[in-house]
Amino acid sequence: MLVFLILLIPFILALVSWFINKVSLLSAVNILGHFFLGCLGLTLAYGLANTRIPLDMHNFFYVDALSGFFIFVISIINFAAALYSKEYIEKDIEDGHILVKKAKVYYSLFNLFSFTMFFVTVVNNLGFVWVGIEMTTLASAFLVGFYNDKPSVEAAWKYIIICSVGIALALLGTILFYYAAHIQVGLKSLNWTDMLAIADKLDPKVLKIAFLFILVGYGTKAGIVPMHTWLPDAHSQALTPVSALLSGVLLKTAIYAILRFAIIVNKSCGSGFVTGLLLFFGLLSLAVSAAFILVQKDIKRLLAYSSIEHIGIICFGLGIFGPLGVYGALLHVFNHAMTKSLMFFGAGSIVKKYKTHNMHIIRGVLQALPFTGFFVILGVFALAGSVPFSIFMSEMMIVTAAFLKGSYTASVLFLLFIAIIFAALIHHFSKIIFGRKPENMAKSNESVSSKIAILFLFILICIMCFKVPHFLDRLLNPAVAIVIGA
Amino acid sequence: MYPGILLFTILIVTFAMATAKRITALISAFRLQSFFLFLVTFYMSLGSQNVELYVVCAMLFLLKVILVPVFLRSIVRKIKIEEGLGLLVNPLLSLLIALFLTYLAYKFSGLILGSKSSTLSSNFVVSLAVTMLGVFMMACRMKAISQIIGLLVMENGLFLLAATVSEGMPFFVEIAIFFDVFVCVVILGIFVYRINRLFTHIDVNKLSELKG
Repeated sequence: MLVFLILLIPFILALVSWFINKVSLLSAVNILGHFFLGCLGLTLAYGLANTRIPLDMHNFFYVDALSGFFIFVISIINFAAALYSKEYIEKDIEDGHILVKKAKVYYSLFNLFSFTMFFVTVVNNLGFVWVGIEMTTLASAFLVGFYNDKPSVEAAWKYIIICSVGIALALLGTILFYYAAHIQVGLKSLNWTDMLAIADKLDPKVLKIAFLFILVGYGTKAGIVPMHTWLPDAHSQALTPVSALLSGVLLKTAIYAILRFAIIVNKSCGSGFVTGLLLFFGLLSLAVSAAFILVQKDIKRLLAYSSIEHIGIICFGLGIFGPLGVYGALLHVFNHAMTKSLMFFGAGSIVKKYKTHNMHIIRGVLQALPFTGFFVILGVFALAGSVPFSIFMSEMMIVTAAFLKGSYTASVLFLLFIAIIFAALIHHFSKIIFGRKPENMAKSNESVSSKIAILFLFILICIMCFKVPHFLDRLLNPAVAIVIGA
Repeated sequence: MYPGILLFTILIVTFAMATAKRITALISAFRLQSFFLFLVTFYMSLGSQNVELYVVCAMLFLLKVILVPVFLRSIVRKIKIEEGLGLLVNPLLSLLIALFLTYLAYKFSGLILGSKSSTLSSNFVVSLAVTMLGVFMMACRMKAISQIIGLLVMENGLFLLAATVSEGMPFFVEIAIFFDVFVCVVILGIFVYRINRLFTHIDVNKLSELKG
């Protein structure tokens, strides 16, 4: 029942958005809807943490602790993005960038986009997981190309083309999985639960090749280097609340899909194959993103490359494997979603105020936008992984796991890249935050709703600083158990 | 033997697509390829009592043989671009690459299937070759429309693979995939209009506002 509601609410919101002509009402309805959705996500996650029994409905929906965790993260970020959208869209209409009609299109697509992300995490059938991930691309394509100018249309084109090719390769992988299960073993379904049940009978050779396609395919969507080329363009051109969704949760749904397949492959041929690949691609993503972050001028592209970095960290954690590594990686999914959305919201307000993405021109944010400036500087320390913020916690877990496992070279490389990125982030942001604001620029205040959005995320970051809350811990433990197949 | 000749035709048509120089020729060849794909799936479902298989065939015919080619043609007519595809690789070299990719598919099928029946492996080789040629077309043709067609060729290859090697995907998944592909093509079509309006061309390699 809960699952139906979680899918139904964004769908209804998407429809309702077509019929509301007043922008303030439109935003209010969406905020309310996503608040309710957030509560449902929390209830579902809480229930799963307590009972630990997966919800299985007609063999179509299957929600276990792992899906519950991702639903929880998606619903939180959706709520924050809906809150932040209010000021953003109203300001765009005020400035004459868009018409009221386009605001309706925006909210409609926004909700369709959240619907597709929820859909990916609740279906059991791996074919439908593919369909869901392709739908996330289609629903968000117009949000990336929203302003209809040269850069955004170019970004949207690259986004759909590159992701569709990637996704097509993932379909090839899925077909090969089905070949292994259907022709060789005689299973007549693509359900994840059924596949897992017969995993040890599947031909490891076929599964390994199939998993390569899955990793390259869904990895394109997750932004793993070298398939990441669409990501900086799309993240920098999308509307800011959508950038937060893309970076905070869309990439994670692709990771979720990879995980589902990885669990089957691990059960069939041991964990060595998958973890080796994830470790390699994780480090590669870290290395490449470090180089691009060092030389970046565009504030939103900088954050986009930082998303690639964090996806690299998550892959690294999953590649280290073992209870601690996977726990750290999943916790990092949560922490990165919160921190990166906060940073995108801050960057969005800065870009709106200064009317440029160029960090060589933006100066004195703390004077011009005191509230945003204050939280962005805290946020950048959180994002870079400094003590005592939540990202530090999850990174510590991953590094500890790596050292305990004895992967010294990998750990040292990991720490090296993190250190470079730390320095680069602090350097870039301290230059724009401090200093004198341009002479002719007035100091201004953000609206209440975006302040609440930023505070809300910041509080969630702070809660996670020293200790993982009891409830989340009990949700993560069974989720980790599912991933490592215990 | 049925599928042998049909499969072979699909491969030949795909080769023709890899060497085509004009957009209209590419669209016609795509329609032909989809038609033969339809024949293969229809032949395979003949004699079966399962209605679902016929529904899939009908969907395939409706979408890929009729709707998508008509849609693509209408785009070409409306935006009045010149006919050339903007080849990054000339036709002769393209043909050689196509042959090489087919050889790769052959080697690869040996890797996955081991020594299985020859029908299965020839199905596998053709589907995989078509898929890889789709990727090749997307990578080495500059016009936005040819990229859409490359994507569709990939999808055709994957459909063929699913139909011949693993006896089709579960019914609802198949339908959902059709739906996705169709929506994807429509959205890409809309973006082709937009690119044409904003940039006054549809050469994808000249889209270079965003860097770094």
